[in-house]
Amino acid sequence: MTAYLARRALWALFVVSVVVTIVFSIVFAIGDPAATTLGANASPEQIAQFRAQEGLDKSLPRQFASYLGIAPCVRKSSRNYDDGDGFCGLLQLDFGQSYRHKEPVFDVIAARFPRTLLLAFMTLLFELLIGLTLGVLAATRKGSLFDTGFMATAFLGISLPTYVTGPIFLLTFAFLYGWFPVGGYGVDFWDHVYHAVLPAFTLAIVGAATYARVMRSEMVEALRNDYIRTARAKGLSGARVTLRHAFRNALLPVVTMVGLSMAILVSGAIITERVFAWPGMGSLAIEAVLAEDAPIIMGVVLIFSIIVQVANLLADLAVASLDPRIRLQR
Amino acid sequence: MLRLALVLIGFVVGGCPEAPQGPRYRGAGHETRQGGGTVVIQHESTVDTLDPHKGWNELATMAVRLCMDGLLDYDHEAQLIPSIAAEMPDVSEDGKTFRLRLREGVRFQSTKALPGGRELVADDVRWSLQRLLHPDTGSAGYAFYTKIVGASEFHAGERDDIPGIRITGDHTIEFELTEADQTFLNALAMPFAYPQAREHYAYHGEEAGKHCTGTGPYVLEAWERGVQLEYRRFADYWDAKASPERLIYMENIDRRVASLRFRNGELAAIHRQNTADYVFYKESELWAPYSTEKPMSNVWGLAMNCELEPFDDVHVRRAVAFAIDREGWSRARGGRLRPLGQLIPETLPGHVEDLEGAQHLDLEKAREEMRLAGHPDGLEEEVTLVLGDGDVARIYGELVQSDLAKIGIRVKLRMLSFAAYLQETGTRNRSQLALSGWNMDFPDPANFYEPLLHTNAIADENSQNRAFYSNPELDAILDEARAETDRQRRAALYEQAAEIVAADAPWAFAFSDVKLETWQPYVRGYDPHPVWSQDYRSIWLDLPRERIR
Repeated sequence: MTAYLARRALWALFVVSVVVTIVFSIVFAIGDPAATTLGANASPEQIAQFRAQEGLDKSLPRQFASYLGIAPCVRKSSRNYDDGDGFCGLLQLDFGQSYRHKEPVFDVIAARFPRTLLLAFMTLLFELLIGLTLGVLAATRKGSLFDTGFMATAFLGISLPTYVTGPIFLLTFAFLYGWFPVGGYGVDFWDHVYHAVLPAFTLAIVGAATYARVMRSEMVEALRNDYIRTARAKGLSGARVTLRHAFRNALLPVVTMVGLSMAILVSGAIITERVFAWPGMGSLAIEAVLAEDAPIIMGVVLIFSIIVQVANLLADLAVASLDPRIRLQR
Repeated sequence: MLRLALVLIGFVVGGCPEAPQGPRYRGAGHETRQGGGTVVIQHESTVDTLDPHKGWNELATMAVRLCMDGLLDYDHEAQLIPSIAAEMPDVSEDGKTFRLRLREGVRFQSTKALPGGRELVADDVRWSLQRLLHPDTGSAGYAFYTKIVGASEFHAGERDDIPGIRITGDHTIEFELTEADQTFLNALAMPFAYPQAREHYAYHGEEAGKHCTGTGPYVLEAWERGVQLEYRRFADYWDAKASPERLIYMENIDRRVASLRFRNGELAAIHRQNTADYVFYKESELWAPYSTEKPMSNVWGLAMNCELEPFDDVHVRRAVAFAIDREGWSRARGGRLRPLGQLIPETLPGHVEDLEGAQHLDLEKAREEMRLAGHPDGLEEEVTLVLGDGDVARIYGELVQSDLAKIGIRVKLRMLSFAAYLQETGTRNRSQLALSGWNMDFPDPANFYEPLLHTNAIADENSQNRAFYSNPELDAILDEARAETDRQRRAALYEQAAEIVAADAPWAFAFSDVKLETWQPYVRGYDPHPVWSQDYRSIWLDLPRERIR
């Protein structure tokens, strides 16, 4: 187990390093963050000063080495600059300073991350509640009108992008009916939860439809097994057979999906956050790309890639612990 | 189950209430200024900092101006007026010395950094400018103040003081410049020069930009970054205009969401709309009494690179300027722009009404200019137009293609991200033709002519003069106008400059943007400002509001 974890951690580190290298090359080699940050009105002198301050006047490999923390700092704006003798990179847990927010990347992300996490958890909750319930109901009514209608609805749910469903829900349930707030984030925890319902529901539609389809097919398969017949022969009730025996065994692929889903939700709610004016990581990513705020782009990419790696690992571990037949490779 | 789903769908679709077409609330009907209430406003982006030395954008300026005041300000005619200066500064005859007296009794707000607050004195003005100009501050705004004697050397780290800033009393201060400069007063009105309390920076250190200790009408109470800033009225504010008790400035609100919220009565005003919402508000008779549409203080047009073929030939440039159908552009954009045939927009001093030689559509003249340039049948080579990305830019690009095709110029579009656009068009000998724009830093013609058309603004990289236009005659006029203290003589010089530029056509000027702003019936006293975007400092709320839809 320890060897497996170590191997996975090394692999994750490799993947994250490759992602960071590629994104750094793209972000810092293309365009001009100085001109974008200072605007079209800035004079060449001001741009030159900004570049010198942020180390953008140094070669790309030099900047990258400084970013990783394996070479002395090139950013005069860093607290760790120390006249060019200090180190201010990832190894020192210094993610840099946002060009736009003028504060450490870590602080900017730390403020946004919990909001995205809340949205992701609520989405996952909706996905599982709706998806698993409908999947089980469809499987137990296989071939009925409900099953056919459900399959068609699930197909529609998977096909509808959030930039279509989001504005429709916003207009209908928030503006016209007034059941939910018209976007935004709210002021205290329960208000945040209330504001998150509609965006979470929007995000959950695709996931719920996917979970429902998977659950249905797994349940149909499980209900055909001999142990189900045996359970029924023993006189167990239909609900007990379905939930206790079939459902539990059909759950395995869902657990794998949950891990991946969580990673996608945390890193992929970009459009929905924008549509609902939800100030999370997705909005931050869009702002950073538009403002060419390179340190924030790097920070967001780094966090997203770490989350994907960790979520994958947790999903593998969960599956292994649920199914004794699966053993992690030595 | 299926039946239940159908019933639900039927309920949602069939029983859908009608969307309100007009305001949901109206005011109580007071005719005089009332205090109290909460104003909620929004922006689609986020405030980066409240440190006026570091922020340089519309959004930061708006947030800063709620809690800070300038020495000088602008009225609704874009004319300078005293703010926390007691009166307009006394300017010496040679235009190099400015004596300024501060209003007495102006207080800094009581904050954690400055418990109890204190009175603003002249030394605060000196300290603030010194911080702005200090090399460690890294302010992009320092360049506006380098004409103060000793400022450049101080900024370069060559001296420890700025002899051109002299305190002459608790409430009096003097600035001495190296040469006469009529834009210095405009520079003093910029947020870069807003007086700061040094205690604020001593207390907050690196975090200073997240807080505010100013002399403005509202005290910043809380700021959840990326979500909202919350202000409360400053009880000891020197000007009686601030009336609402609270002001909430929401960040990160998408235009579509903002419009729905506004129509729901949750926002006091909106100032930017997507096309569908723009048409809705513009055509709505119910919203008409609470809307205004004004041209913005900016200019858009085609910057033609005077160092590159074919635009090194003045006749080709003039041909382009005569070929642009400005009214047609306005129609294509549904009236969201104001046609412009000269550099200075109509909202600002320096705009010449009935300018002789103002650029306009005249295809006969355009073809004649092409003939004079030796291209009676048009250009053989295709011309590349560099422009930003996005749907609106594409529309303009296609309009240019259509207009110039009429005089035999084929145009290829090259759409770039903003950063790549700046790099491409600001580098010498790189782009032939660029769709360019300029938003003013301050409302003075110098702020348009000098960065866009003065020889000094040409650089090999990051050139602000994107037409790479150099004309010693124009340079001399602009230099003289910058220093000229006589208003009429100065205006005449800029009129001369306008004629030269219109005729030489380094740009084919096209339009100024138009801004539609709409507010709730219970929001009173709002008049969109020609200089400051979303300036809600003098509004009041006619409460209690009554729901009517």
